[in-house]
Amino acid sequence: MNTRTIGIASALLALVLLGCQAPPAATPTMAPTQTSQAPTEAPTVAPTSSPTASPTDEPTASPTTEPTASSTVEPTASPQAQFPRTVVDDEGTSVTIESEPQSIVSLTPANTETLFALGAGDRLTGGTDFDDYPPEAAAAPDVVVQVEVLTEQIVDIDPDLILAGGNNFTPPAEIQRLRDLGFPVVVTYPETVDEVLADIELVGAAVGADEEAATIVAAMEERIAQVTDAVADLPQPRVFYEIGYLPDIYGPADDSFTADMVSLAGGEPITTGDPVSFVIPLERLVDEDPEIIVLGDAAYGVCPDSVAERPGWDEMTAVANDAIVPVDDIIVTRPAPRLGEGLAALALAIHPDADLAPPTAGTSYCEVPATP
Amino acid sequence: MSAGVAARPRSAARPAWLEALRHRPLLLAVTGLVALAFALVAGLALGNVSIPIGDTVAIIGHNLLGWPAEVTWAASAETIVLELRLPRVITAMAVGAALSLAGATFQGLLRNPLADPYVLGTASGAALGAAIALLVPVQFALLGFGLLHVLAFTGALLAVAVVYRVSRLGGLNSLTSVLLTGYAIGSLLAAGLAMTMYLSGSNLRQIFFYLLGSFSLASWPQVVVGLPIIAIGSVVILSRARILNGLLLGEETAAHLGIDVRRERLLLLGAATLITAAAVALSGLIGFVGLVIPHLVRLVVGPNARSLLPLSVIYGAAFMAVADLIARIPGELPVGIVTAIIGAPFFLYLLRTNRAGYQL
Repeated sequence: MNTRTIGIASALLALVLLGCQAPPAATPTMAPTQTSQAPTEAPTVAPTSSPTASPTDEPTASPTTEPTASSTVEPTASPQAQFPRTVVDDEGTSVTIESEPQSIVSLTPANTETLFALGAGDRLTGGTDFDDYPPEAAAAPDVVVQVEVLTEQIVDIDPDLILAGGNNFTPPAEIQRLRDLGFPVVVTYPETVDEVLADIELVGAAVGADEEAATIVAAMEERIAQVTDAVADLPQPRVFYEIGYLPDIYGPADDSFTADMVSLAGGEPITTGDPVSFVIPLERLVDEDPEIIVLGDAAYGVCPDSVAERPGWDEMTAVANDAIVPVDDIIVTRPAPRLGEGLAALALAIHPDADLAPPTAGTSYCEVPATP
Repeated sequence: MSAGVAARPRSAARPAWLEALRHRPLLLAVTGLVALAFALVAGLALGNVSIPIGDTVAIIGHNLLGWPAEVTWAASAETIVLELRLPRVITAMAVGAALSLAGATFQGLLRNPLADPYVLGTASGAALGAAIALLVPVQFALLGFGLLHVLAFTGALLAVAVVYRVSRLGGLNSLTSVLLTGYAIGSLLAAGLAMTMYLSGSNLRQIFFYLLGSFSLASWPQVVVGLPIIAIGSVVILSRARILNGLLLGEETAAHLGIDVRRERLLLLGAATLITAAAVALSGLIGFVGLVIPHLVRLVVGPNARSLLPLSVIYGAAFMAVADLIARIPGELPVGIVTAIIGAPFFLYLLRTNRAGYQL
């Protein structure tokens, strides 16, 4: 009966959703050169939460969703770790943290990575099944499996602080329930590179590692400045950063820091045309005509030679000119302390001749046998 | 009013144990209640954090029944049992009971074995309401209730109200007319749902999980509001078992038996819709239970509503509690998948053992 119609709709949706959970897995043309990283990590950050184009701006988040570019710490944070303190997270929620958190649960791989960089990794008592950097981060018990938050595990751990992701990355109802249970939950969702830096300071403030955060941010700013200086006088080609391919094409949303990354790396980003959705229609992509295609999904087996074989893609300048470059998606699209290195990798992908030190992090993919 | 039962031919193909159970509805009820109690304890003791069964019982006894127990367990165990698992198990039981009771009612009322709680558009109405709620930029949450619950509940009620209203204008035999109207309105609403989902962008995932049904976000405020609605509707239906038996014989016969057919049908339809709407608002769309539990019960005890309805309540509740338990052990499976996977083979088995003589 009519439930059957819904059933069919659900089945179709299941396909769509499964597809975007692991877009790269659909094209296993080549094995990744290195397999130590969980193969479905980075694309799930973005496309899972926003699989289709839409003008809606995350209505399920709190109505006052104004990503605050600066982390506000009310009691002056000049000496290390004054608690209690109140921080304002990226959704505008004021979160009071009573004392320096000794047990921290992270619901996103980016927050996990940030915690370790801040020297607070030993206080991580629960993480996600995607945590892959640094390697010891994988040891914490998983309280997020696939995208499911295991609330019971979190209650059992009884953390002093929970770091969650915005834009539906952590389900908003789950964030609300954790808050109802009395846990302080800080939500991060950066929309620009500056906000990534601000988020590192926000997490630093929340865990009482203000000075470490400042040091990391300063180093990142310096690296970012190196990159922007190196590409300042270079032409800006139209760049499509491919986050995933199949069943849809996934690229940066208009208001995503990935688009911001492409601009900083000296390219003109081709975005999806929607503030939060990461799906780009092929027609739009053909119309925008990328001069360079950067394969973020190279880590999952998508390599340049397969791109030319895709129907409709041979029209694009980048494909005609063979300007298709693989990069390590994890360092480019994860809003975490290695982002400066990710930016350098991206800049070198766009401008191979730029006067820039090669990235000290990340993995190279799709290596062609060296030809002198 | 047991004429409906007496007139039916007995099947010779039924195994002896089934035949023996047929005449012992009380035994079945007690067995069902024991199963329910086991499901309750298991539902509280098991989960992805393991809490010793003794602690679980002690936590419940200490906090709810005032046992003078010494607190030897962690505070987090208490939160998990009392704030996460107990409302979840109660919600699952209430929803299971509501769906199978509503299914039994719709099957009898419409005299159609394919009828389920969603047959008159409740599912599509609720789903559309929920999807719209996720699209509306303004969110409010009061006592754990959001726009989603309110719109899902309203959507389910509205859909059936429209079906009822429109079908009375049609010229066909009234039951056929109700079913066909339900189908047509349901299809229209499903199209609306598909459209809403298409527009929903980053909320698609939430709508999708709502459609699959889950108890993972059950909370006390939801129990406090949802349970009374389900209880009231259920009492109305259970008190009309005799009338439902009469209606099964056909409208004319029922009228000759002194039943105000129009009024009673509206009342039963209203109550069944009310509890379905409450169930759907609490947990999303969980299929299969409302269709199959009444059939299972009917296969065993026969079509007499006086046994069928209460046993559907008990076994619906127990089945859903067990299904939810199975759903959350490996992480969080959507419970609708579990109900179908464990229920369908058992149902097929019972159907096969009853090849002759199954009637509504």
